[in-house]
Amino acid sequence: MERPDGFGTGLKMSSILDRYAPAPAFDEFAEADGRPRPHYEALAATLAGISAADFRHRVTTVNGVLLQRGVTFTVYADARGTERILPFDLIPRIIDAAEWAHISRGVTQRVLALNAFLKDVYGEAKVLRDGIIPRTLVYSSEHYEREAIGVRPPHDTYIHVSGIDIIRDAQGEYLVLEDNVRTPSGISYVLENRDVLKRAFPRLFEQYDPLPVDDYPQRLRSALTAAAPPSVGDPTIAILTPGIYNSAYFEHTLLARRMGVELVEGSDLIVRDNIVYMKTTRGLQRVDVLYRRVDDDYIDPLYFRADSTLGVSGLFDAYRSGNVTLANAVGTGVADDKAIYPYVPALIRYYLGEEPVLHNVETFDCSDPAQRSHVLSNMRDLVVKRTGASGGYGMLIGSHSSADERAEFADAINANPRDFIAQPIITLSAHPTVVDDTIGPRHIDLRPFALLSGDTVDVPAAAFTRVALREGSLVVNSSQGGGSKDTWILAD
Amino acid sequence: MLSRVAESLYWMARNVERAEDLARLIDVTAMRAVDHADDAGDRWLSAYHIAGIDPPDDHGRSARSTALEAIVFNTDSRLSVAACVRIARQNAVGVRAELTTEVWECVNGLYLFVEAQSPRAVGPDGVSTFLRSIRDTAQAFGGLCDATLAHDDAWEFLRIGRSIERARMTSRVLREVRDDDGPHVWQLVLEACCATAPFARARSQSSDPAEALAFLALSPVFPRSLRFCARQVDRALHRLSGAPTGTFADASERASGRICASLDFAGQADLAREGTSAFADRIGAQIDELGASIVSSYFPRVPVR
Repeated sequence: MERPDGFGTGLKMSSILDRYAPAPAFDEFAEADGRPRPHYEALAATLAGISAADFRHRVTTVNGVLLQRGVTFTVYADARGTERILPFDLIPRIIDAAEWAHISRGVTQRVLALNAFLKDVYGEAKVLRDGIIPRTLVYSSEHYEREAIGVRPPHDTYIHVSGIDIIRDAQGEYLVLEDNVRTPSGISYVLENRDVLKRAFPRLFEQYDPLPVDDYPQRLRSALTAAAPPSVGDPTIAILTPGIYNSAYFEHTLLARRMGVELVEGSDLIVRDNIVYMKTTRGLQRVDVLYRRVDDDYIDPLYFRADSTLGVSGLFDAYRSGNVTLANAVGTGVADDKAIYPYVPALIRYYLGEEPVLHNVETFDCSDPAQRSHVLSNMRDLVVKRTGASGGYGMLIGSHSSADERAEFADAINANPRDFIAQPIITLSAHPTVVDDTIGPRHIDLRPFALLSGDTVDVPAAAFTRVALREGSLVVNSSQGGGSKDTWILAD
Repeated sequence: MLSRVAESLYWMARNVERAEDLARLIDVTAMRAVDHADDAGDRWLSAYHIAGIDPPDDHGRSARSTALEAIVFNTDSRLSVAACVRIARQNAVGVRAELTTEVWECVNGLYLFVEAQSPRAVGPDGVSTFLRSIRDTAQAFGGLCDATLAHDDAWEFLRIGRSIERARMTSRVLREVRDDDGPHVWQLVLEACCATAPFARARSQSSDPAEALAFLALSPVFPRSLRFCARQVDRALHRLSGAPTGTFADASERASGRICASLDFAGQADLAREGTSAFADRIGAQIDELGASIVSSYFPRVPVR
């Protein structure tokens, strides 16, 4: 490629890339001098050859396909319960092999440490005796389940499926922003986005030949099969969904279909003599593994929330008796509590004797008086998060907040310091993204998924990139105006 | 398969079938009403009866547009075309994991298409095209179910739902026929059941209304006849239970067997004796009972151990 002077030179004048100006952040696409990074050169050349009108046409086509397919999510805050397609950005995010190897190593290490932590905290609790994590922090976590103490899942696997949220700071360093070890979602968008993008840019796709994503369901199935109670030879697996109104229902159906397993709701199951059965047209059929996408609180009204209609009475007894595997195990939420997060690097050192491959974002623990007072006097420069919340809810971005909002959070922090952490505002890396008729930089994150069986972690090359579509926004959650991108991970 | 899933498949298929049948009925009625303006009021009244929707006391300025509103677009009732499409899609959402992409996208596409329309958007001149699109998509749905799904238990429940609704629609169309109706009425009846060409082929010389009605009730080969549909249900039930044909394993098989027997051994003379309308009414009621017994046999809320 001849040396382009900016993006315009040597390329068609009407290109949608002409006016791309990198953001004041780490730009995934462009070097500091404005030239595309080596692994983005072919993409730049392709985009340069596409007119704005052609591009708009492709965008319309792709959105039509996604709506027709029903690749939608439900917005909870919206009273009408409307289904929307998750805005899909046509420009793929590309990760080269070396970067991915680094991410994958870091994720593997992190998941192993978090799983070891769960085994410990519901078992001998050595980590607490050794003073690695304050006891009160664990016991005060709303996701710490006393019922799970002493219950050992097969192969001590707690976190069968996890999604680790990763961002890049201004220097381009990959940092872990949060761990999701309960029921992380997003994989369906990865599968669908790839399918759709292949149609939109077949030639570009051939040029890059990214690692496939469509083997994810089979890999998940293998992990779930391996998780079955040891006495079961050929386990019956089912996905337990909260039902059609759940925001991730589409994903549940997609995984059930691709894995070839039943998708069940709580009312489809019944527990007799501590064994879980599905109600079928031919009578009751035993279930050995439940990939449950229902939170702990709702799985069994006898033990957890009595008002839950999503779960199954007796499910927890069946689980405790070892007659059914729940994936993920009951009680994993304590490991992704945001108040535990600052201690994860210490957990990695403690359990694995290794230095963390991926670092944390600097975090202030509001339950610590000194850190709390730092947070309260610097709220404008911090992101304050509720430790129990997820999905971009319950969060204050200091720089984008009003004095009233800050005062409200300050009161809440003083009332329940344990429920809050704060982090410096990190300018996430930016990526070219379709904005109206042109392409502009928008902030992105990355959620790789990890599948754990015993002590083997599988990190499929099926990672989810979310993009904050509003200019300058740092919140990528789908509930908060986020979209998604196809993520191309390159082979060695 | 899960009982809940079986039930959703059954209702999905029934509602798509109903949407298709009603769309055809309305289109045909509108066409015939143009040709025979003098009894157009009666034809629209029949359409309401067939749809099971109460006709309004006052038809307003246009019987046609009032009927379209009530039978096609009105989603306050569960019986209109738009409502059936919506219900079918809701059921499809609940069993999406069981469907192929093709089948799902077909139902979802039908839903998105119908939801995007209104009487105003369709306009008086666009009605026929609009109804035609619904029919085409609903028929494509049937084809995709047959061509892309495994013909296992799930498919049998689809077949049952489709056949029961079809039989019900044919019986309701026949029930509306009066002995003194003119030839244009039985032509309408044949068209509403998609039977004009099949009947003409089967009885090339006939223009006898009684023969046409007997064809719709008793033909062993015409896919919308009462007899054919009842046989489809009976076969599907026996495939589900594994019981040999001619025997019954539960109440629903007994009910379907009885209907089949009474249709297998009936002739045109029997229809004439009982009166087509009364005959159709009786069989229609038996089909409704059959539907109810299928629901209680296969979709119990709490299964017996």
